[in-house]
Amino acid sequence: MKLANKKILAILLAVFMLISLAACGGTAPNKEKGNEKSAVNDSAEKPDKSSDSGKGLDKIAFIVADMANESQAFSSRMFQKYGKDYNFEVIILDAKGDVQAETQAVNNAVAQGVKALFVNPNDINAIVPALEAAKSAGVVVGLYSSDLPADKQSARDFFVGVNDNQAGEAAAQAFMDFFPDGATIVEIGGQSGHDAQIKRHDGFNNAIKDSKIQVIDYKATQQWSTEQAMAIMEDMITKHGDKIQGVFVHWDNGATGVIQAAKAANMEGLFIVGVDGNRAGFEQVRQGDQSVTIMQNFENMTKKSLELARKVIDGEKVEPLNFIPLDIVNIDNIDSFTPPEW
Amino acid sequence: MAERIWNMKEQINFKNVIQTVFRDYLVLAAIALLVIITSIVEPKFLTTGNMTNIMRQFGPLIMVALGMTFVIIGGFIDLSVSGILSLVAVVTISLIEPLGQVGALIVGICLGTFCGYLNSVLILASGAMKQAEALFITYGMSTVYGALALIYSGGRTKQMSLVKANTSIYKTIGTGTVGILSVSFIMFLVCLLLLYIFQNKTYMGRTIYLTGGNKTAAELAGIHIRRSITLIYTISGLMTALGAIVLFSRVTAASPVIGKGYETNAILAVVVGGTTLIGGNGSVLRTVLGTTLVILLSNCLNLLGVSVYMQYMMKGAILVLAIWLDSRKQL
Repeated sequence: MKLANKKILAILLAVFMLISLAACGGTAPNKEKGNEKSAVNDSAEKPDKSSDSGKGLDKIAFIVADMANESQAFSSRMFQKYGKDYNFEVIILDAKGDVQAETQAVNNAVAQGVKALFVNPNDINAIVPALEAAKSAGVVVGLYSSDLPADKQSARDFFVGVNDNQAGEAAAQAFMDFFPDGATIVEIGGQSGHDAQIKRHDGFNNAIKDSKIQVIDYKATQQWSTEQAMAIMEDMITKHGDKIQGVFVHWDNGATGVIQAAKAANMEGLFIVGVDGNRAGFEQVRQGDQSVTIMQNFENMTKKSLELARKVIDGEKVEPLNFIPLDIVNIDNIDSFTPPEW
Repeated sequence: MAERIWNMKEQINFKNVIQTVFRDYLVLAAIALLVIITSIVEPKFLTTGNMTNIMRQFGPLIMVALGMTFVIIGGFIDLSVSGILSLVAVVTISLIEPLGQVGALIVGICLGTFCGYLNSVLILASGAMKQAEALFITYGMSTVYGALALIYSGGRTKQMSLVKANTSIYKTIGTGTVGILSVSFIMFLVCLLLLYIFQNKTYMGRTIYLTGGNKTAAELAGIHIRRSITLIYTISGLMTALGAIVLFSRVTAASPVIGKGYETNAILAVVVGGTTLIGGNGSVLRTVLGTTLVILLSNCLNLLGVSVYMQYMMKGAILVLAIWLDSRKQL
């Protein structure tokens, strides 16, 4: 009996490994063709590869806060896709949402002899000592998507990302434009305590402060979970009913839940604004379920990061703060944007 | 003198009754209290619309929690449900186009059941007969299943609106109603009935209690505890797969981390319901009460405008209280 079980176990583990390997092979970003270029408007400059052709590629690391976050998984693919254009060999390290694991990942990247590292921080304060150590070891440090606190920015060389305050402000502007005479709306926040959730909320509320837009209810989720956004929206519909004229939801996949809750309650004509500009957001705008998505362009963000790292390594001076503009996508202009891959 | 003794006896009996009520029916009292307070503060709580909401919110968690009940009664624990849930959700939704909705449904259910079975094989092969050992093995498997979900989906959320095939079954599960009952709630009632009969009226169901109560004694009594262990994890995998299908049908999307947090909520629902963590005692009906409390708590606190931080704290406090009461029962 025991022997039979061991045999079964061995077979099952072998099958598992095969499946994993097959799956990894199917999605390996390095297999993407080198000449495959994005149609998205590219503001980043491309270096002359021939200048470094004899020296080989410089190793750099992209440390992902949590690969389970869709935008970060997409960013990691973009780093691998465009790394070679800037003479970089990119390694990806996943902190799995763990502050301590992210610090360890920075240390590991330095130990592996990377020339530059990019971090999407889980905790913008806790990561500082590791980044200071990396910088003092001569590694170029770039912050990706979320920046360090103002008094600790000496621990990095540059930041590339979007301004989440501006994302909140852009959402507010969309509401003020659509409801010039005012409206009562609700807000559903992203993961409570997350940097993006805090800034999108602050930016939104500061912008509508003196307007006629009134937020009658606000609740953040425990995670960036579509199900939680849906449950909160269902409860808000129970509480406020037809008083709700619009919804600001901090992310497009959350908007999916909001739309389902509204449909289940037969609520029509809600003005729903989300942030991200991902495939779900685009599809929802196209179908008329979502009014606006505020698009973050992670492809341009990645190219800008690579460009700046190359410049710093080559001894050039760069701007420390680099905001990638947000695009406001609605049904009228959606066809002018390249549909996102993520 | 006789009167004094009588009074003392009465006091002792009264104390026992209070203790029994406090230990065994606290969850019912908590539900009643929650309903009464919320109804007074927010009368919209008792509307038909909100009852439908609660029924729909009930669907995914109760399925996972019912499966978890068997694992905990058997004296084990299963942390892999979050990974299984994510894996089944992304695989099933992505197979609707190539296999059709029935084919995808069958593959999804078989995949979840297989993952549960695989857990039991690993536990048995490694000789992990203690709850703590099973905890680490299933935690490890959760990360494996979660990683497979990420690899399979490429980290992308699968949207049902982008599926170019008939998805009527999933739409019915997610939003359909029969009379005043949602379809997902009817699915739960059917599962509850089958699992209740299995748990209480079949030989295999009863052996799970004995396995959880005392493995050595159960083995000496001629019970195949290895078979029981295989059974409880397979049931857990099957119920998690059903939970995954109900969940992505409801939200019309499946992310590779859709199951995050379900393991703790399912354990919370089982333990709060009164099933003892050390095994050998409990029931699927108790889990229904526990899940009701967990879902109602979230619904009521949202309606009362309580912040998400306070909700975290209250959930934690209830879990601690439930485990404390469970420990008191063992004394």
